[in-house]
Amino acid sequence: MKVFVFAENQKALLELCCGARQIGERIEAIVINSQDDKDTEVADKVWSIPQQDNAMLEDYTETIAALLEREKPDLLIFEPTKRCKLIAGRLAAMAGTSVMTDLIELTKEGEGSHLVYGGAAIRKEKLNTSLAIATIGPGVLQGSKETGKGEIELFPFVEPIRKIKVLNKEQKPKLSVNLPSAKRVIGVGRGIAKEEDLGMIRQLADVINAEVGCSRPIAEAERWMPKETYIGVSGLMLAPEVYMAIGISGQVQHTVGMNRSKVVIAINKDKNAPIFGQADYGIVGDLYKVVPALLDQLK
Amino acid sequence: MNIITCFKVVPEEQDITVKPNRDISFEKAPMTISAYDLNCIEAGTQLAEANGGNVIGISVGAKKIDDSKLKKNVLSRGPESIFMVADDKLENIDTYQTANALKAVAEKIKDYDLILCGEGSADLYAQQVGPQLGQLLSLPAINSVSKITLADGKAIVERTLENELETLEISLPAVISVTSDINLPRIPSMKQILAAGKKSATIWSAEDAGIGNLSATLGVIETKAPEQMDRKKDIVQGDSEEAIKSFITKIQEVLK
Ligand SMILES: Cc1cc2nc3c(=O)[nH]c(=O)nc-3n(C[C@H](O)[C@H](O)[C@H](O)COP(=O)(O)OP(=O)(O)OC[C@H]3O[C@@H](n4cnc5c(N)ncnc54)[C@H](O)[C@@H]3O)c2cc1C
Ligand SMILES: Nc1ncnc2c1ncn2[C@@H]1O[C@H](COP(=O)(O)O)[C@@H](O)[C@H]1O
Repeated sequence: MKVFVFAENQKALLELCCGARQIGERIEAIVINSQDDKDTEVADKVWSIPQQDNAMLEDYTETIAALLEREKPDLLIFEPTKRCKLIAGRLAAMAGTSVMTDLIELTKEGEGSHLVYGGAAIRKEKLNTSLAIATIGPGVLQGSKETGKGEIELFPFVEPIRKIKVLNKEQKPKLSVNLPSAKRVIGVGRGIAKEEDLGMIRQLADVINAEVGCSRPIAEAERWMPKETYIGVSGLMLAPEVYMAIGISGQVQHTVGMNRSKVVIAINKDKNAPIFGQADYGIVGDLYKVVPALLDQLK
Repeated sequence: MNIITCFKVVPEEQDITVKPNRDISFEKAPMTISAYDLNCIEAGTQLAEANGGNVIGISVGAKKIDDSKLKKNVLSRGPESIFMVADDKLENIDTYQTANALKAVAEKIKDYDLILCGEGSADLYAQQVGPQLGQLLSLPAINSVSKITLADGKAIVERTLENELETLEISLPAVISVTSDINLPRIPSMKQILAAGKKSATIWSAEDAGIGNLSATLGVIETKAPEQMDRKKDIVQGDSEEAIKSFITKIQEVLK
């Protein structure tokens, strides 16, 4: 199988190229004007598209389409970012196929697994078109260190027909927490009554050496925490050593993001909350009584 | 100004059950509007309220999506009319088939300035139909849009990405996929619910829409609930001082 790889971030490109060795015999990377020879160490070939002034990443879609048309790979893998999902979708429409998005597994046979119904089920699927397109997180394909031959070939830019004008672009402030690599994570949910009460949760996190994440409503509806810190099917997928859910009901959309944790601890006042079915230790109680007691006694 | 809002009709997630063999069952699950398409409908309605214009809701799927309660629900949220392809030939179609079916509906409506899609469907969450639809219609397509303003023949949008915020200018017509935090969907008033009964819904078969024979690009091998991890489920009941103490003793081991 010939696999092409495209990513928005260089680190993801390197990891996906290494990982793709488990699936294909030949790995070729598509990069925008690479001057970095790191790219070439992991692929058998690097297709280098000259960088254009004032172009969005999405403006390279037609160029990638032309490359696919000529080189006919069996599989095209993308990093699962918003930009890449847009490019993948447009390419799929051009090629007459669908995209297997956000795969949690991909086999040599091209069978991909993807969470459906908000994480209530895993669907195994396979594209039956000559070109298969998938978006897959770098962590999913555990890579071998095998190196490629790394020849570079220039591929000319194809001018897009429709251009979207960028009026302004701002970098979001960088987050200081790195939840995916944290050994202990506290997740807070709607059981918290006010934003200020997060202070108490942060103190507890300091005491037990944990990072703080949240359920989706805390980030999206209340906006008390950054969007990048919510856990679940449409957010972060974590597997820490300890996960402590505080005031989280445990809907499946959330629990698929934490159910690979080694130990799960739950604090919830509702004894019927589904989170208790997925916990090793738990207490049916008011978090406003339990958390202060924990702070007091674990210090 | 005609604004098309795409909404998917899906089984109510909370009522999906898991069988002992990990198959999933929809027997108890009524059909409902895909959660994030409520934001999509709301975005279209707000744009029409601000700029004048007409909102049209469109959906494609199996026969069962043609449900009177559901249509009324959609129409009470702002759209003036609904166009659906409801045909069992469209049961469990993939995103490429869906985008093609929606394209056929849009081409039948013909006169539109903007097509809105949700962030992702509640069942598949592929985040693909919007981008594919835009490409199939040869229109500009953009995703992850968290704000839209309209100005003569174009849309100025804010786009929220992983590490960046962008402001873009897109010429209309275009296909825009909106995020779920673009707005808070309204709760329809009694008046809006009553008015919904008088609005129109047009239902086509696949043949009417000319989309009968597009074959699937994606084969489904199996759909199974994930295997449950074995958990200790050592749960302390109540938050008396005693109970909290016993809980702390248990977790101290883990946190050592
Ligand atoms: C397509 C789709 C994708 C989604 N993706 C995600 C996702 O990635 N991540 C995610 O988290 N959600 C996601 N959701 C939302 C998800 O369905 C749930 O709505 C959400 O996880 C619930 O968050 P919660 O547990 O914080 O709130 P709730 O469900 O409201 O639960 C709050 C809990 O706090 C408890 N509580 C209240 N007060 C106290 C107190 N004083 N002490 C102790 N306990 C208390 C209550 O008993 C309750 O169990 C998604 C939904 C859809 C439709
Ligand atoms: N069958 C459908 N009918 C109408 N709109 C749909 C359908 N499927 C998907 N969409 C739209 O496309 C968006 C993305 O869907 P998906 O690519 O399945 O995640 C949804 O939020 C809807 O707005």
